[in-house]
Amino acid sequence: MKELIMKLSTPWKLAILAGLLGFFALIIGNPANKNVIDVNAKEMALATVKNQDRIDVMTLADWLIKENADYTLVDLRMEKEYGEYNIPTSVNIPIESLLNSDLMRNQKILLYGNDDVVAAQAWFILKSANYKAVYLLNGGMNAWKNEILFPKLDASATAEQTAAFEKAKQVSLHFGGTPQIVSGGTATTVAASPTATQALPKLTAPAGKVGGGAKKKKEGC
Amino acid sequence: MKMILLPTLSGSEFKGEIFMSHGGKNLEPKPYSNPYLVGLSLGLVLLAAFLIMGRGLGASGAISTAVAVGVSKVAPEHASQNNFYKEYLGDQTENPFKDWLVFQILGVIVGGFISGMLTHRVKFTVEKGPNISVRNRLIFAFIGGGFIGFGAKMARGCMSGQALTGGAFLNLGSWAAMMAIFAAAYGLAYFVRRQWL
Amino acid sequence: MMPYFKFDYFSVDFSLVIAFVIGIAFGFVLERGGFGNARILAAQFYFSNMRVLKVMFTAIITAAIGLFYFTWIGWLDLSLVYTTDTFLIPQIIGGVFLGIGFIVGGYCPGTSFVSASTGRIDGMVYILGIFFGIFVFGEMFPLFENFFNSTPMGRVTLHEYFGLSHGLTLFLVVLMALGAFAAAEWGEKIMAKKNGRGAE
Repeated sequence: MKELIMKLSTPWKLAILAGLLGFFALIIGNPANKNVIDVNAKEMALATVKNQDRIDVMTLADWLIKENADYTLVDLRMEKEYGEYNIPTSVNIPIESLLNSDLMRNQKILLYGNDDVVAAQAWFILKSANYKAVYLLNGGMNAWKNEILFPKLDASATAEQTAAFEKAKQVSLHFGGTPQIVSGGTATTVAASPTATQALPKLTAPAGKVGGGAKKKKEGC
Repeated sequence: MKMILLPTLSGSEFKGEIFMSHGGKNLEPKPYSNPYLVGLSLGLVLLAAFLIMGRGLGASGAISTAVAVGVSKVAPEHASQNNFYKEYLGDQTENPFKDWLVFQILGVIVGGFISGMLTHRVKFTVEKGPNISVRNRLIFAFIGGGFIGFGAKMARGCMSGQALTGGAFLNLGSWAAMMAIFAAAYGLAYFVRRQWL
Repeated sequence: MMPYFKFDYFSVDFSLVIAFVIGIAFGFVLERGGFGNARILAAQFYFSNMRVLKVMFTAIITAAIGLFYFTWIGWLDLSLVYTTDTFLIPQIIGGVFLGIGFIVGGYCPGTSFVSASTGRIDGMVYILGIFFGIFVFGEMFPLFENFFNSTPMGRVTLHEYFGLSHGLTLFLVVLMALGAFAAAEWGEKIMAKKNGRGAE
């Protein structure tokens, strides 16, 4: 048998190899099964402990003001909530559609929901499906509202706190929010228009698009 | 322009694959390699492109870029309004020739030349069958190029892009295009046999 | 994790160097296969020399098998590899034009560059023809832009379309290719006898 195989010319050997590989492929079926995932529990635990996957709302606000666009901001809430207000440049993907979406494994993805829970669940799903760079917005939409849109300064604040509030005020106004000064239960707004209460700013910026940053030329052939 | 027409021994150059050349200065061109080994090498090059770059090979894209740039130099507004040219021009912040396919095709030219030099197959000549004149052959070559340019854009790729790259991917459109290529070529072969046989 | 470029292993500028190197390998292999010669390419369609079929299908199944197995062992993320969407009808019509260009001109774009680089004047003229063809296409584009974008099916593979598994489709493709090789070898022998050549 061995001599027979040795005597065969190279094309024959290649043909047999191809046939065998094809046959094994037939047995394997589908090489990339999208629904079953392998979880590296240790890696996940480590990432959680190190807290490196959490992004503060102020950091995000900074990125948005500087128009840093190397990430994709994902809003995990329902369509209706998304329609009422969403963080500018975000794209709406409910958690059950995450794996079927256009998100690519080599993108930086920043997730937020109303609070931390949904975002953490989505983070787990994406990390185990081998998405490489997944981050959570600390506190979610609630934190965004409290710290960015409607920051509050106590009337009896120290000089440092007042100075820090200045920055928060600027950021809030940038996003159309209403900063407030609180003294003993009553809040006075510092915003330009006196009528503005804690109303959510209107959505003027178009919602973001999934699919990577500015791709100048399409890959063709 | 003096053409050195390679005297052909009818039939045998296809199988025996050794060209004899007159004029003793030329070295004999070496025979072509086993097609299966060539195919294996080509497949490995294609696979390398997939694994390293995440894209396959392609030839027509480079020429499209050149055409688009040429048109945009002559008539910039026309080019920027045409949805086809637009795609090859990018957003004007970078030179459109800084394109993967352009560099790849430059490599093809160099690679072909190197291989030709190593096997003494570089020859300033016209490849044609015995029953057609050089002039007609060149006319046909131009017409053929025109059809392929047009078809390559319509099919979103040429043989390298659709048949090889798309074929390896088992893409539906690519295989359909490949079948169409072979069907059309076989169908038309009888009518243009004057050129080759 | 592959494809390396999509995971930022190297810059866009370096990818152009890689393009050049891959191109050299591509051109070298094509020339080795005799594809810088229009007569050899055209002989495919007269059954006297079936190199085109052998080289192309061998290359396709090599790369297809490679893609399958690299994905299976988890090294390659297939979803990140770029491939064109399927536009069924325009691609078939385009294929017809490609076939016409192939048999009339004797080259395809890739091989025409190899041919030109080894001195073939018909290859050079062919390249001029390609420029012209693409130019005509570009100028006429607004007329058939709707047709160009018709029957969009997105990124769809044979196995997705027919509801088979990737492995089964690959197996069938390999079988088909091996069958085609056998038929090609047989066909070449018949034509050789017909042309009055004896044992090679």
